Amino acid sequence: MLTLTLLFTNFCDLTIDLFLHYFQRVALLVSSDIDALCACKILQALFHCDQVQYTLVPVTGWQDLGTAFLEHKEQFRCFVLINCGANVDLLETLQPEEDSIFFICDTHRPVDVVNVYNDTQVKLMIKQDDDLGVPSYDDIFRDEEEEGGDDSGNESDGGSEPSGKRRRYDEGEVERRIERQRATREWEARRREILFDYEQYEYHGTSAAMVIFELAWVLTKDTKDMLWWAIIGLTDQWVHDKITHMKYVTDIATLQRHVSRHNHRNEDEDNSLSIDCMRISFEYDLRLALYQHWSLFESICNSSYTSCNFKLWSMHGQKKLQEFLADMGLPLKQVKQKFNSMDMSVKENLREVIEESSNKYGMKDIRIQTFGVHFGFKNHFLASDVVHATASLLESTEKDDSPGDNFIKALDCLSRSNLERLHGGIDLAKKKLMAIQQTVASCICTNLILSQGPFLYCYLLEGTPDVKLFSKPMALTLLCKYLLKAFVRSTRNKRCKLLPLIIAAPMDVEKRTVIVLGIPPESETSDKKNFFGRAFEKAAESTSSRTLHDHFDTSIIELKMEDRTKFLDALITLLS
Amino acid sequence: MDPSEVEFLAEKELVKIIPNFSLDKIYLIGGDLGPFNPGLPVDVPVWLALNLKQRQKCRIVPPEWMDVEKLEEIRELERKEDTFTPVPSPYYMELTKLLLNHASDNIPKADEIRTLVKDIWDTRIAKLRLSADSFISQQEAHAKLDNLTLMEINTTRSFLLDTLNCMYKLRSNLQPGSSGGKAQDHQ
Repeated sequence: MLTLTLLFTNFCDLTIDLFLHYFQRVALLVSSDIDALCACKILQALFHCDQVQYTLVPVTGWQDLGTAFLEHKEQFRCFVLINCGANVDLLETLQPEEDSIFFICDTHRPVDVVNVYNDTQVKLMIKQDDDLGVPSYDDIFRDEEEEGGDDSGNESDGGSEPSGKRRRYDEGEVERRIERQRATREWEARRREILFDYEQYEYHGTSAAMVIFELAWVLTKDTKDMLWWAIIGLTDQWVHDKITHMKYVTDIATLQRHVSRHNHRNEDEDNSLSIDCMRISFEYDLRLALYQHWSLFESICNSSYTSCNFKLWSMHGQKKLQEFLADMGLPLKQVKQKFNSMDMSVKENLREVIEESSNKYGMKDIRIQTFGVHFGFKNHFLASDVVHATASLLESTEKDDSPGDNFIKALDCLSRSNLERLHGGIDLAKKKLMAIQQTVASCICTNLILSQGPFLYCYLLEGTPDVKLFSKPMALTLLCKYLLKAFVRSTRNKRCKLLPLIIAAPMDVEKRTVIVLGIPPESETSDKKNFFGRAFEKAAESTSSRTLHDHFDTSIIELKMEDRTKFLDALITLLS
Repeated sequence: MDPSEVEFLAEKELVKIIPNFSLDKIYLIGGDLGPFNPGLPVDVPVWLALNLKQRQKCRIVPPEWMDVEKLEEIRELERKEDTFTPVPSPYYMELTKLLLNHASDNIPKADEIRTLVKDIWDTRIAKLRLSADSFISQQEAHAKLDNLTLMEINTTRSFLLDTLNCMYKLRSNLQPGSSGGKAQDHQ
């Protein structure tokens, strides 16, 4: 009847009569980031099409994943994991039954070798051209029977042979045994080296939402809603700086083909579509966060690109901004007004005017390729607007919001029918961006970023305004990246410009823990590969600090406040 | 009757769809449907058409009357005549709403159709109100209205009946022999 063809790596390529025949119900375990939410939405729509029963469980970390698995392992045989589970030996961690199957669609790389080479229980959903760089099977795994089998055989039949012959035979045997042991030790040393190189750097692969959209496309069940969610998933990876610029541009081109295909379908006849239908368009738009839902001035002040280029935390920077606006001929009164209320004459060629002026001020990439959506007469959103709004809803720190509630609210705001929630999210996002801007300004002005030798370090004190916002991983990541960019711009020390940054912020005041995260150094051609995961693990081990490596991104950990100093010292020693 | 009940009855109407799956004939209590072959049009009730459309298993073909020129003609005719003109379908209002909400991407010029159908509806409801008004003021005993649809009747049914009941009570409570002028005032 209904079949699903899943795109696997070149290791296994199967068509399975999946959900309807073998498994009655599916457990969907979804991590808490925007890409995962989008992938989840697309998958839910596909399930609705085929009337597959499923249970949705949001998970925020490894402990959550373990608990969720224990709760559901009785009733479910089929688990789909989105943006979690690929970078750790899953079967070892969860200890499932023989007949449970896991489908993992995860952007975290490197994928654990056991997950890659397990044919039966773990199925990875990865695109064909995503190069994993997995070491070959023989380099890592080896049959146990060859070792030591021959040695024991010879010692037992001692007495039956004449002594002279046996001595010679034994010498040969001993030599061969020594040879074998040496070879095993060499093989193991090489294996350790290969695995170390493979697992040293953490990075991200193709967006999960895009992979699941491709699945929908292969099944010819793709709709514009699903395409829009795939776009949001990709934009999330770009906003939170998880992928390189090259990869972003390549993926945009892939999505652009899908967008043209959908648009072409509409403009076939000269009968145009209803205005309520969703229209996705390719935009070469400004890199100003939320500018169409804010005033242009506020947006320029609170977007990391413009703020860092102008150095808006200094008086000199503010003056430069005024010059910039004057250079474009935009009256201050217009620019400080809500964007939608600006004069049409000002809005007309805004993008080109800003691009021209930005080039003069050294901002060559003020415009970025992205997509926008129109539906109804009033509603126009860019993909990055939706990403910011959803991220704020997901990590909202309001008093009575549990993580489960936030997840559901964020999931809701991705549907077209929940526009008030989306607007609510946009308001929260504005507050978050302003908080980030102010924190960055104060950190730079008070020199809170210190060079510890192999890395830069910043600690947000408990009394810092809005520090509650930064107890959440995504917000803290944005702050960290923004801070590093600003620091690179403002420092004169050439060596410091090439250092990575570690930031720590209070996470839970009662439990006295801090959240620590590290990001790679800022550079034009950065490959976004992060080595802090392993470094944190080693440092924690060596000082026996009380840490919790719960987050799916290994470069984000939770640490007890008291152990902060010794942990840092260990890191400095490790990385020097 | 509740308007949702009228909509429920409207969902029994047949509409043409083009499925993208294949299925043998299905035998339901209300009748037989199918067989379904990809790319070949088949007539199904609206409830099934909408369900299949939401699961992306078919494309809905708009009914013949759901066309801009035809609806414009009907609207002009309706505005000219004093009485009710024949309707394109006994459930035109419900079908328009259902199809345009769920399948507007399969219907060309959906916005204009929505406006035209609303215009026709408004004209007919205005005529109904006028007619009810004159019925009561001239104290007729019976009236005959052709070409009304169930949804239109349903809009006035409860109000009209309650009003007539009230007026009957008022009239029958007057003392026999007292001036009939009182009854006139209550209109």
